[in-house]
Amino acid sequence: MVDLTAPPTPAPVPIQGPWAVRARRFAEVSREVLRNPTTVIGLVIIVLLLSMAILAPVLTTPNVPDPYQMPRDWGARDEPPGTPGFPLGTTTTGGDVFYGVLWGARTSLQLSVIVVGITVTVGVIVGSLAGFIGGKIDEILMRIVDVFLAIPELIFALAIAAVLGPSFGNIIFALAVVFWVKYARIIRGQIIHIKQNEYVDAARVSGDSRFKIYRKDVLPNSITPVMVQATMDMGGIVLTAATLSFIGLAEAGLAEWGVLVADGQAGISAGKWWASTFPGLMVFLWALAFNLVGDGLRDVLDPRTERR
Amino acid sequence: MQIRDYVIRRLMIFPLIIVGTSIIVFALSRVGGNPIAIYIEHEMSAEEVAELEDRYGLNDPLPVQYLAWAGGVLTGDMGWSAVSAQPVTEALFDRIGASLELAIFAAIIAILMGIGLGTFGGARRDRLPDHVTRVVSISGASMPIFWFAILLLILFWVNLGWFSTGRSDPTIFATIAHPTGIYTLDALLAGNFTAFADAIHYLVLPSLTLAFGATAIIARMMRSSLVEELNEDYVDAARAKGLPERLVLRRHARRNALIPTVTVIGLGFGFLLQGTVVVEIIYRWPGIGRWMADAVLRGDQATIMAYVLFTSILFLFVNLVVDVMYAYLDRRVVLGA
Amino acid sequence: MSAFDQRRVPRILALLVALAVLAACTGETTDTTTGGTEGPTETEAPGETSPPGEPTTTAAASGEIVNPGLYVHAADDEPLSVDPAQVAAGEAGETVIAQVYERLVEIGPGGPDLIPSLSSEVPSVDNGLISEDGLTYTFPIREGVVFHDGSELTADVVKYNWDRVLTMNLPEGNSSVLADLVASTAVDGNNFVVTLNDRNAAFLNSVVTAAVASIASQEAIEANGGVQEGVVNEFMTANMVGTGPYTLEAWNRGENMQLSIFEDYWGEPAALDARIDQVADSDVRALGLQAGDYDSIETDPTFIGDLEGAEGVEIYSGDFLLEPVHMGMNMNIPEGSLPPEDTIPVDFFHDVNVRRGFNLAFDYQAFVDGAMAGLGAPIPHYLPQGMLGYDESLPTFERDLAAAEAAFTEAGYWDDGFTMTVIAEEGGIFEIAGLVLADSMAELNPAFQIRVLAVVETQFDEAHAQDPLQYAAWIKNADPFADPAALFDAYIHPDGEWGSVHGFANAYADPDLIASLVDEAAVELDQDRRVEIYQELTGLLYEDPVWLIPGNERALMAHRSWVQNFAMNPLWPRPSIKFAYFDKG
Repeated sequence: MVDLTAPPTPAPVPIQGPWAVRARRFAEVSREVLRNPTTVIGLVIIVLLLSMAILAPVLTTPNVPDPYQMPRDWGARDEPPGTPGFPLGTTTTGGDVFYGVLWGARTSLQLSVIVVGITVTVGVIVGSLAGFIGGKIDEILMRIVDVFLAIPELIFALAIAAVLGPSFGNIIFALAVVFWVKYARIIRGQIIHIKQNEYVDAARVSGDSRFKIYRKDVLPNSITPVMVQATMDMGGIVLTAATLSFIGLAEAGLAEWGVLVADGQAGISAGKWWASTFPGLMVFLWALAFNLVGDGLRDVLDPRTERR
Repeated sequence: MQIRDYVIRRLMIFPLIIVGTSIIVFALSRVGGNPIAIYIEHEMSAEEVAELEDRYGLNDPLPVQYLAWAGGVLTGDMGWSAVSAQPVTEALFDRIGASLELAIFAAIIAILMGIGLGTFGGARRDRLPDHVTRVVSISGASMPIFWFAILLLILFWVNLGWFSTGRSDPTIFATIAHPTGIYTLDALLAGNFTAFADAIHYLVLPSLTLAFGATAIIARMMRSSLVEELNEDYVDAARAKGLPERLVLRRHARRNALIPTVTVIGLGFGFLLQGTVVVEIIYRWPGIGRWMADAVLRGDQATIMAYVLFTSILFLFVNLVVDVMYAYLDRRVVLGA
Repeated sequence: MSAFDQRRVPRILALLVALAVLAACTGETTDTTTGGTEGPTETEAPGETSPPGEPTTTAAASGEIVNPGLYVHAADDEPLSVDPAQVAAGEAGETVIAQVYERLVEIGPGGPDLIPSLSSEVPSVDNGLISEDGLTYTFPIREGVVFHDGSELTADVVKYNWDRVLTMNLPEGNSSVLADLVASTAVDGNNFVVTLNDRNAAFLNSVVTAAVASIASQEAIEANGGVQEGVVNEFMTANMVGTGPYTLEAWNRGENMQLSIFEDYWGEPAALDARIDQVADSDVRALGLQAGDYDSIETDPTFIGDLEGAEGVEIYSGDFLLEPVHMGMNMNIPEGSLPPEDTIPVDFFHDVNVRRGFNLAFDYQAFVDGAMAGLGAPIPHYLPQGMLGYDESLPTFERDLAAAEAAFTEAGYWDDGFTMTVIAEEGGIFEIAGLVLADSMAELNPAFQIRVLAVVETQFDEAHAQDPLQYAAWIKNADPFADPAALFDAYIHPDGEWGSVHGFANAYADPDLIASLVDEAAVELDQDRRVEIYQELTGLLYEDPVWLIPGNERALMAHRSWVQNFAMNPLWPRPSIKFAYFDKG
């Protein structure tokens, strides 16, 4: 069936044989990826953002009692960047923009890793069951997937988050419910494709158990397009979460970029540009970096566009 | 599989998916909070709340409530939309034109920009222009729309005064009839060019904002298809015949590369559809996206349910059409793997 | 193809550069075109695509009036209904009802004084229109008043309207305001006569002037569904046929409501047509005001600082509203109903030390400066400024961390701390009040954790309407009361509206004393004695508080400086302005 929900993902170049071969292939892919300057730019930005997230507790004094809440100095509201103690200025509630930017990276990292972790796991399990077992199970699971795919992502997440109420945990839950289906769809397609390959037949003939075939031959070969999608979703999830925050479903006072942008926007035209510009830029860079890397990966892994 | 069989098969699954979607939608409305939260004011007493719950049948068992709602949907009665103070069906009908108009204009812009950027990058593969177009198109998909839109407004509304928010100048809007609800079309039908110019004028910013996000999807697909086509033997043959590169690109490669690009239009449409929620809030566009956002913030479940169900059906339908179109364009595709 | 692209790419880049420059150089350059020079376009020759009347900054900045003859107000909220019988107090429908419908008497522009409207006189004991026993009110109906549909106003029409509200008795509406007081209505010649169940000093001020007592055309209602008990009239939900200075010309849902000057108005006609634009996003409202498209905008103190100093914009700051922000403390929490994060026991607030501890720990200054942009004030516990009995020498809570520590130590929470959830509406001063509370408590003792659950308005309203309440604390402003009798009954009396929900009887050291004082003041006719009682109560409540009162707001609105006669009256329904009084120039 034509895949309508994602750009047709490339069929992977089958990887077989001993680890040495796989390692060689990995090295090849890495070299290819690094030849593309935009991918390198993306990687550099990702490294910078991740360092920010990791170093946040070192670069700032964590807020007590909850470090993920913005520290607020009610006596220093709307201070411009460069004010002593506030290198990037403060918000209208006296929140430290620098703190928000750094801890926002941490919030985003947490959010995207958790959501991608959950969705890839669930998606791979469901997709594998459907693709590998086939038959009625496949039919039922895929109809469920179809139902989930029928509702556009942001709208679905919005409806769920609205019902659950504003908390970070609920946003994670809403995004997880929405994003897993893509992986199920991708992995199933890959498995059906790979099952037809000869080496799987060979393994079957040699008497390997079904699970062993799945683990050794099918899964490793299905996982590359999942990786591409997951890389892009690392960015997309943060973007979607920021949008939910903007609409008004954020946890109060959280150090999260979307919250900061929404709170600071009215000030831009009155000259108080910093409160929304820095966090807005961060959301953009985060999404851009992961999208660039994902796009670069897809190019390299897509056999159709291989260099001659 | 024949296209006809394929369409029939898809159409047969269609109701199944819609029923599934409707169950999810209904379940969402009953899981958290009160489905009639919008009618509840903090001054109300518990008795008054109970009276309201009774009026809206919330004391019936859940399956009965679901069937009542689903039955209503089938007969065109989806309840009362509190956020727009009119029946849901009427509100949907009133607002869909504005959203469709915005989405169609954005789609045209996105397709043109996407194909343009994709061709431009693909033909200059791995050179600087390719990298630049890649960054530009992916920037669109990475931009927080709500932030970008405000920046555009500050520049073009407050500072330059070229554009405003809303859909029309109300005095001009009132001068023509609105049989279709699509302002540009209504203006053309009325033969009123002032109104047409007014419609276009108000469309510029929101449709550009919306299109920017969807461009990437099309541009990336176009680029990889073009690169693939340029690797094909027939391209070499054409070049060997001494055809200028420009003609090779225009006559052969680009035309064939467009075919797979069609497949992502469905995805792009989904992107536009959800983008309207934010774009309509900021540009005050009176379409269904803002209707949904209002409903979410004010807990108007009847509206949320109708909106989610309606957009899902629309999305499914567009995807089906795209699917069939693709199969028709490219006979190599095997349908229904 | 490539030619097409080469033109396009630089243009997009130029746009991005323009935006970057704009973001970097900020809007301090409001009327320069720093960003604009980067993005020239060929299609935007002014006048070609600009429809007539299209605002330009040049116009707004040079003082040239945008939209002459039309007053545009940007509202944050669209009515659910414009039927007086269906609109709840405080709902957006009241805004339009105040402009299009009229009532028998109105609150005048200058203050709390009543002025005649559809009744040609304001009833009083002196003019004999209020009976000696205070139970019967006679309203002589003004002659020569016509509705927007041309039908004529009579005493019968007035009676029809009052009876309609009582018959329909819609739970979402405000009919109980009438139902609770009115014993009967009658027509006597050209007079409309109302008899009350009980004497009530607030009848004219808070009932006759309320949106629910508006007068609509009987002909129009009868022609469109009439009156049915408990059934919504869908025509009236969306249409308005009143007697006011404006007619509802069009309601483009999700976009605007257009009001036109009613030429046959009995009084002085309005000078400007009016339009209410729906602008949900506060940033967009602020931008539109600066662009000159809006003459006034629904203003929240949280972004007022962003508008101060903007060219052509003025900020009106009027009297204090009579609705201080309250933090409710629940002393009636059902077992097992608190959110799982909360560690407090259900009888947490039964202890006066806890209640005093909160009142002593709260950073009032941070709230007034931070959430209200300095345009607010703390109030004495418990009489707000502007209310009978207010005296600035009455005891007011101030932040005192040492005393707060002593109180929480006494209560036994100092060492182990606690976690408590406070629920508030998101995105405004209530959410910020919650954050100030969280910061205040954490500063006092890091083991005191306050979770601010900032939910959308409807979720808050739903939680707030429950009895018993499922949260330990909430933040919201009080309902406005013009007289302390109603205020103390609803907010202080142990058997009153909140007293019963929150279980004040579990809190007060002597509930009977409080009850008897509140009851005594309510029937006392000697104003001096009333003041004395209320001040005594204020002293008792300072020692034994059942609320935390972060502060009181001023009436506040940002408007263009070209608006003439701009004035707000906090006693009018929000946004507390009447377009008919304004002019532009």
